Amino acid sequence: MTGELAAPHPVLGAVVVLGVLLVGTAIVTTADAVVADRVARRGLDLRASLVRPWRRIALSLVRPQPATERPDWGLWVLAPAAYVGMAAMAVSVLPLGTDWAVADVRTGIVVLGSAEVLAMVAVYLHGWAPNSPLSLVGAYRFVAAGLSFLLLSMFVLIAAALPAESMSLGRIVASQQEGAWNVLRQPLGLPLFLVVALSVSLHGPLDMADGTDLATGTVAESSGPARLAWEFGRRAMLTAYALATAVVFLAGPAGPVLPGWAWLAVKTVAVAVVLVWCGHRLGRIGIQRYVRIAWTVLLPLSFLHLAISGVAALA
Amino acid sequence: MTGLAVDIAFWTFAVAAAWFGWRVFRTDSMVRATFCLLASFLNVGAIMVLLLAEYLGVAMFFMMSVEMVVMAIFMVAFMMNPAGLNPMEMVHQPRAAIAVGIGAAVGLGVVAVVADLPPAALLDEAGTIRALGNELMGASMLLMEVVGVTLVATMVGAVVLSSASGRYGSADTGSVPPLLDPDDPDSRPDLVSADGEGDAHAGHGGHGGHGGHG
Amino acid sequence: MTIVTVLLASAVLLGLGTWGVLSQQSFVMIMMGFELAINGVMLAAAGVWRFTSGGEPRGQVLVIVAMLVMAVEAAIGFALVVAVYRARQQDTTEGIAELSR
Repeated sequence: MTGELAAPHPVLGAVVVLGVLLVGTAIVTTADAVVADRVARRGLDLRASLVRPWRRIALSLVRPQPATERPDWGLWVLAPAAYVGMAAMAVSVLPLGTDWAVADVRTGIVVLGSAEVLAMVAVYLHGWAPNSPLSLVGAYRFVAAGLSFLLLSMFVLIAAALPAESMSLGRIVASQQEGAWNVLRQPLGLPLFLVVALSVSLHGPLDMADGTDLATGTVAESSGPARLAWEFGRRAMLTAYALATAVVFLAGPAGPVLPGWAWLAVKTVAVAVVLVWCGHRLGRIGIQRYVRIAWTVLLPLSFLHLAISGVAALA
Repeated sequence: MTGLAVDIAFWTFAVAAAWFGWRVFRTDSMVRATFCLLASFLNVGAIMVLLLAEYLGVAMFFMMSVEMVVMAIFMVAFMMNPAGLNPMEMVHQPRAAIAVGIGAAVGLGVVAVVADLPPAALLDEAGTIRALGNELMGASMLLMEVVGVTLVATMVGAVVLSSASGRYGSADTGSVPPLLDPDDPDSRPDLVSADGEGDAHAGHGGHGGHGGHG
Repeated sequence: MTIVTVLLASAVLLGLGTWGVLSQQSFVMIMMGFELAINGVMLAAAGVWRFTSGGEPRGQVLVIVAMLVMAVEAAIGFALVVAVYRARQQDTTEGIAELSR
């Protein structure tokens, strides 16, 4: 069932995945506060920007959850859990060290794609469940975006699998160590995958579900711990896709001197900071433009990318 | 994984697949019905992974999730009770349907038990995906070409069937929109022309900009 | 997990799907019934491939063909639902019992 990399005991693996998501969320939250202050040139008080998000989290824990009219409570509770679960599923197939992954399955990139699609289901249900108009608009908007960016993601991942001759992410890293990093071999792939990462983790200019233009969309009716759970899910998903970007394009744990997990952490944090910076620096894009650009520009680009990568892999 | 763990997992997934399949037609909320069907697919996908058809199992996750999201949108659009806020019973011939359903399940079950299928275990358990890939890109290439052409034809056909305008004008020419209030014959909305779509909204971003520059 | 248990599970799914197709009035729900039935077919094909084929890959190809059937059914089905609704404002089988109006 598994690929080449060693796997820890399943219980230990689950703990590792949870730990990665928690640490990643803490880093993303901190980076978000620091980058926001930098972008706003709001003085350079590092201590204040480090403390602020945690104070906000503590405050939000004591807020009560308002009740809407006849919501679908089951789905409302299930949706954040499913979203976090999909981030966990994505992390579990990624190599986390030079010679181990939680589950380096042979179908790695398809699992990664499935995590994305099921995350779309979770976001839709999260917007559907509260029985509230702005949440529902966010849900539908995200489905329109999702049907557009999922294809991009699949083509980019297939292109990454071509030189590795395997769908296992462990093999994809190994093939980058043997040849060149995918960021050099497949230069079109990285920006396309960053679009996917921002979209699926509901961040920055491509946040179609929870945008402030919809009064935070699917999360508009959530407060207190429920809101915290969803915000954790978003940052966990950003962590998972920053990790995936580092693995697929920057050869993940490969690097001199430092141990593999340290290199992976450095690359992941770098990608996460770029994503967070995009979130604060780039303007929001409307859904009509998003879908039009995705289908008429990005999708043909991903075809081209796949064709080039295929020819390069044969050569 | 040991045999017992596989057996426990199989029975869990199989019972869940059947239970969710039953809930599809028994729940009032159409969105829940759609995602019950998705849950049934996911459980069958998990069984396929247990059967070592890993690629097919994971592909089920991927394909069926997309399909069920689209299905949910159509359910909300076409059903009068998408959120299940009222009890609903939209069935015909219920008894006959139950009888035929049980008959089909029992009949096939008897075949499954009685039939003497010659067992032949997998020769290469680690190479099932590679074998499938070689088959698709080799001996079954013609079949995959047919699959591709069929899908293209499906896309064209779906657009032709569902698009609002045809060669002889709008597809809904002569049709009448439904009453907004079933008891009030005057509540019929005006026919909306199919020509109004496109970029009609593109130019509205500039309103309310007075005094904004300075 | 043997060939018999897998086929029994698939028979139950196919029976449930048949019941749904025959008992539901709404087109969209009927399509869901078809999908559930095809779900059972795919499970049966995968089981037969696993236990009786010795790893012949054409067994897996059959499952892919079943997925194609499902995709075509969904796309053309939705298109027909839209077309019928546009022409008759109907979304149930009873609504289009007459050939013309």
